[in-house]
Amino acid sequence: MHDSKDFKIPIGPQHPALKEPEGFSVALKGEKILGVDIRLGYNHRGIEKAAEERTYVQDIYLIERVCGICSHSHSTCFVQAVEEIAGLAVPNRALYIRTIIAELERIHSHLLWLGVAGHEIGFDTLLMYSWRDREVVMDILAAITGNRVNYGMNTIGGVRRDIDAQQAEDILKALTILEERTKYYIEVATQETTIIKRLSGVGVLSREDVLRLDAVGPTARASGVKRDVRADDPYAAYAELSFEVITDDHADVYGRTVVRVKELMESYKIIRQALKNLPTGLLTVRAPRKIPVGEAISRYEAPRGEDVHYVKSNGTEKPERVKIRAPTLANVQAVKHMLRDRYLADMPIVVAAIDPCFSCTDRTVALKEEDCARAKVINWQALHAFSIEWYKQQGIDFTELNKKLQDRLKG
Amino acid sequence: MTQEEKIKESLVNKFNYLSVSIKIVRPRRISIEVSLDNFEPVFAYLARDLQFSHLCTITGLDEPEKLSFIYHLAADSGVLINLKIALPKSSPTLKTVTPYFPGAEIYERELVDLFGAKIEGLPSGHRYPLTDDWPVDQFPLRKEWKADKNA
Amino acid sequence: MLGALFYILIFPGFLFLVFSGLTAEFIDRKIYARLQNRVGPPWFQAYADFIKLLAKEDIVPAESNPKMFKVAPVFALTAAITAFLYIPLWGKEALLSFNGDVIIVLYLLTLPTLAFFIGGWYSTSLYSRLGAVRSLMQLFAYEVPLFMGILASALLADTWSLKEMVVFYTAHPWFWMFNLMGFAISLVSLLGKLEKVPFDIPEAETEVVAGGFTEYSGRMLAYLRLTLDVEMVVGSSLLALVFFPFGLNLGPLPGFLLFLLKVLFIIGLISLLRTVVARLRIDQMINFCWKYLVPLALLQILFNLILKGTLLR
Repeated sequence: MHDSKDFKIPIGPQHPALKEPEGFSVALKGEKILGVDIRLGYNHRGIEKAAEERTYVQDIYLIERVCGICSHSHSTCFVQAVEEIAGLAVPNRALYIRTIIAELERIHSHLLWLGVAGHEIGFDTLLMYSWRDREVVMDILAAITGNRVNYGMNTIGGVRRDIDAQQAEDILKALTILEERTKYYIEVATQETTIIKRLSGVGVLSREDVLRLDAVGPTARASGVKRDVRADDPYAAYAELSFEVITDDHADVYGRTVVRVKELMESYKIIRQALKNLPTGLLTVRAPRKIPVGEAISRYEAPRGEDVHYVKSNGTEKPERVKIRAPTLANVQAVKHMLRDRYLADMPIVVAAIDPCFSCTDRTVALKEEDCARAKVINWQALHAFSIEWYKQQGIDFTELNKKLQDRLKG
Repeated sequence: MTQEEKIKESLVNKFNYLSVSIKIVRPRRISIEVSLDNFEPVFAYLARDLQFSHLCTITGLDEPEKLSFIYHLAADSGVLINLKIALPKSSPTLKTVTPYFPGAEIYERELVDLFGAKIEGLPSGHRYPLTDDWPVDQFPLRKEWKADKNA
Repeated sequence: MLGALFYILIFPGFLFLVFSGLTAEFIDRKIYARLQNRVGPPWFQAYADFIKLLAKEDIVPAESNPKMFKVAPVFALTAAITAFLYIPLWGKEALLSFNGDVIIVLYLLTLPTLAFFIGGWYSTSLYSRLGAVRSLMQLFAYEVPLFMGILASALLADTWSLKEMVVFYTAHPWFWMFNLMGFAISLVSLLGKLEKVPFDIPEAETEVVAGGFTEYSGRMLAYLRLTLDVEMVVGSSLLALVFFPFGLNLGPLPGFLLFLLKVLFIIGLISLLRTVVARLRIDQMINFCWKYLVPLALLQILFNLILKGTLLR
């Protein structure tokens, strides 16, 4: 076999454990992980640069597409910053609707995570169950916003769609179903032996490490760090709603699971309160096309943790600079630490436990950057030739194979 | 006295030169501008003594005659400080903050790749976020860099 | 001569096994799907998959050892099918039988795992090698309790021949109930042999892609998958025979139907078990086998020895 020193197994950029392209190179000794090397950046779409070249209104929809799962998080975070610069007083009803959508999004994201976590530890039944129940909240989101993801609810100065009485009732009905199912999941996650065996003691991140490595969201809260933007730096309607910041002191993947399922219960609570106290009034205030000079930073508790947007305006209809820091980028540093001295079998669940969303994480740079490494427009043939060359450098030669293919196509 | 004013007072007491550049933008938001020489002591004081224990991120700005970097530091109380430093575009060299926040490594790499900042003391590692064969003199988030022109 | 060929190639040999193996895969997948609230595959899915794979190109990695790589799947399938020839389906007669055939069946059922190891190892891909090593590691953990569980039943009957066991348990109709713990132990161990959750560690897709099977494609992958299906049928039949040896003097048709019911019951249990648990880690799996299954199996053997000393004297 190989020398243990160079027995490195690639997990990604394409691997069944990862739903998105990201490269982990895991050095192994037997089944034990000696070290992990993370290469990020396969998903760059140049959103920050692109945002500078578009108007604020266009940017809302662009930034919503930073991430599919937490689309509302990013767009809300962005419009909050713009509204702060423009000094807009957003109507109360809009703030409440934003909060309701935000919590519905958290529910769908956490249920999605629960399923993925189940899959990573080979418990596909949990995946099938929680994704089935997730459809309930997806249907509600589709009924309110018209979309399952990328809701397009936000606009600068308010929201674009109202929640009427019938919809409110539907939400409440859905919540009753979801609450019952969530109680069942809490039971499963805390009592099923094989789940506990696979989760507890895995991917330990102590309180000190959380503070040192700047972890955010459920990852931080599972280590007993009470860090939740909704409570610390309230936005939207959170200041007027009462909820608990769920923490746990297991500091491992099990703790993160417990935090997430318990957070689901808090989300139901928040939505119920918000629907009950939903103020009447306008949905939007008129926003100027040109945003005055200024800068603002906006924080938002996305399902995965703190999302940060910084916006600087220059008095035109286009922003001077938009900076996005997605929660996964803050947590990815901690993954390396959590994997130390663990087994290869723990790798998928430890990575999944931060609920990674790599398309959020990689968002910057230019639009055509994958191709413009050679600083020219690359057409299809050139790209094809380039890829052959690239693989040759990696020691993989496709020339023979291509020839055969060509012959076969001709013949 | 609000918590923001308290923070401002203790900062001004410690570093007199901050009295001009420190501003309370709104509740829970404070902005400070410092020169490169004063950056390290102020940053250390904020991170270690005033319990700003969370570095949200580092933003780079091309303004366009100089490069600015904003360190967004948050405390558990919800107060967020934007600590801004400006550097000449010809030599944007600054010190790493990884001794205070090891997690800042990836934010600093981003500044290196996208703005061409030079960061002293940054541990060696992969590029982020650009590809390994990206030209070393192209910094996409600088204003003079245009996607169409360079693509 | 013709009769022997019929037995080996058609019934209860190759063709019957292919048919029943693929049907077993369908039943297992359907139950699994229904328990997970899914629709599940149609009845012909396993056949369609198999036929489609047969038509696909065989890719042999350039780095691999082509001989070993190609031989392993055929070897695995042959061993699994041969094992079936020793198992009496109804009545007392199997196609082949001699004193000691219990050992032969268990031995032949071990060979596919070794073939998986060889195939995975000689693919030389990292995932394959990890998967191969894992399947071998796992073999050492589940094989012992499986052997001991079946041995306990044989011990009570005081024979090493499946035929003799059938004779004994027909003479003592309720004695199989004493072996229920042995059955549970063997069933759990069988999950390891079949590489099913919670013991699907060698092919855990989120860790090692498809383990030893990663580099296989086309016909050879079809053989490997068929091997696992056949193993499921052979393993379930063996357990049915050893642990539920009742109604064996009913004559061919009712006897065969009863046998099918028993096998279906065991396959159902396998599907149920893999629905309700998560995959274990290899260290946890080995721990579990040696810490719990082996002592329990020893207890069963001890129990059976005492029974023999008291009831059967």
